[in-house]
Amino acid sequence: MQNVNDPRPHWLRVLAVGRRPKATLVRIAVLVVTCFVTFKFILLPIRVEGISMQPTYHTGEIDCVNRLAYLRHEPQRGDVVSVRLAGTSVMYLKRIIGLPGETVAFHGGRAFINGQPLDEPYVKFRCDWEHEPIQCGPDQYYVVGDNRSMPFELHTQGRADRDRIIGKILL
Amino acid sequence: MKIVFRLALLAAAAAFCFWLWTILFPSPEKIVLRKMASLASTATFNADASSLARAAKAGNLTDFFSPDAQIVLDAPGLADHTFSGRDEIRETALAGFATLNSLEVKFLDTTVQISADKQTAEVSCTIELNAGDNKDYGAQEMHFQFRKIDGAWLITRAETVKTLS
Repeated sequence: MQNVNDPRPHWLRVLAVGRRPKATLVRIAVLVVTCFVTFKFILLPIRVEGISMQPTYHTGEIDCVNRLAYLRHEPQRGDVVSVRLAGTSVMYLKRIIGLPGETVAFHGGRAFINGQPLDEPYVKFRCDWEHEPIQCGPDQYYVVGDNRSMPFELHTQGRADRDRIIGKILL
Repeated sequence: MKIVFRLALLAAAAAFCFWLWTILFPSPEKIVLRKMASLASTATFNADASSLARAAKAGNLTDFFSPDAQIVLDAPGLADHTFSGRDEIRETALAGFATLNSLEVKFLDTTVQISADKQTAEVSCTIELNAGDNKDYGAQEMHFQFRKIDGAWLITRAETVKTLS
């Protein structure tokens, strides 16, 4: 039992709100605001679903999209990016293989950029995709998943407008 | 102190009146958003829903569309389809509801833009389907056009959007 004359606060209270409740409240507020700003505007948490990015990313994996990745420079070939649909609740996770103005084609399962074969060490499942050259617009990037074992028609891929690219995947 | 109390009371009363006003006279955006939510719930049914209930849902679904409405589907992995008019939409819904085990429809990231004359609305959203068969239907971006007909907001056109061209 605690002595009524003891100026020290009860240990349970110390555990719950600290020795200085006002300072604790300020710390909590700062933490909440920091988390909100970080996870709303800087790092967007995502859960991977689907097989199109296998074996690089698997269903159920948790990751973050860095929304500030392209503040200083434009997206690069090989970047894994998230492409928004109507909003950011559901996004495509794809790899950029074609840059603005470039022509992308598939022959014998290999990607060709402006007629030159693209070295893609991240593609582990080979395929026999055949597709005529597609030219990216001045503000478009060609995105595709790493899993090329799927039929071409069932694999969501194509030209994404720059404003649809939300950011680069963190890990 | 009395003045402060009165001012606070006045502000609270004004806030309450404003809230009541928005409930009684919702903005066109809110009405269209509610329509979309209602459309999703009408298209959703459980595995234990009877054939009659499914048929009723398919019938109710057409109430959201104008008589000359069009649904244009052009999604990856699907053949292109265009459904015109309430009858064709009802028949397609009936056939679909009868073959599916269950259906859960979700509209995500819904944004509404009302025209200046407040007679038409453009809605963008992402639709997510779950038919309870472990099949991945993915997500599809959709665009809806609403028109105010006889005081009711009805869909005149619904079409898939190609996120990647």
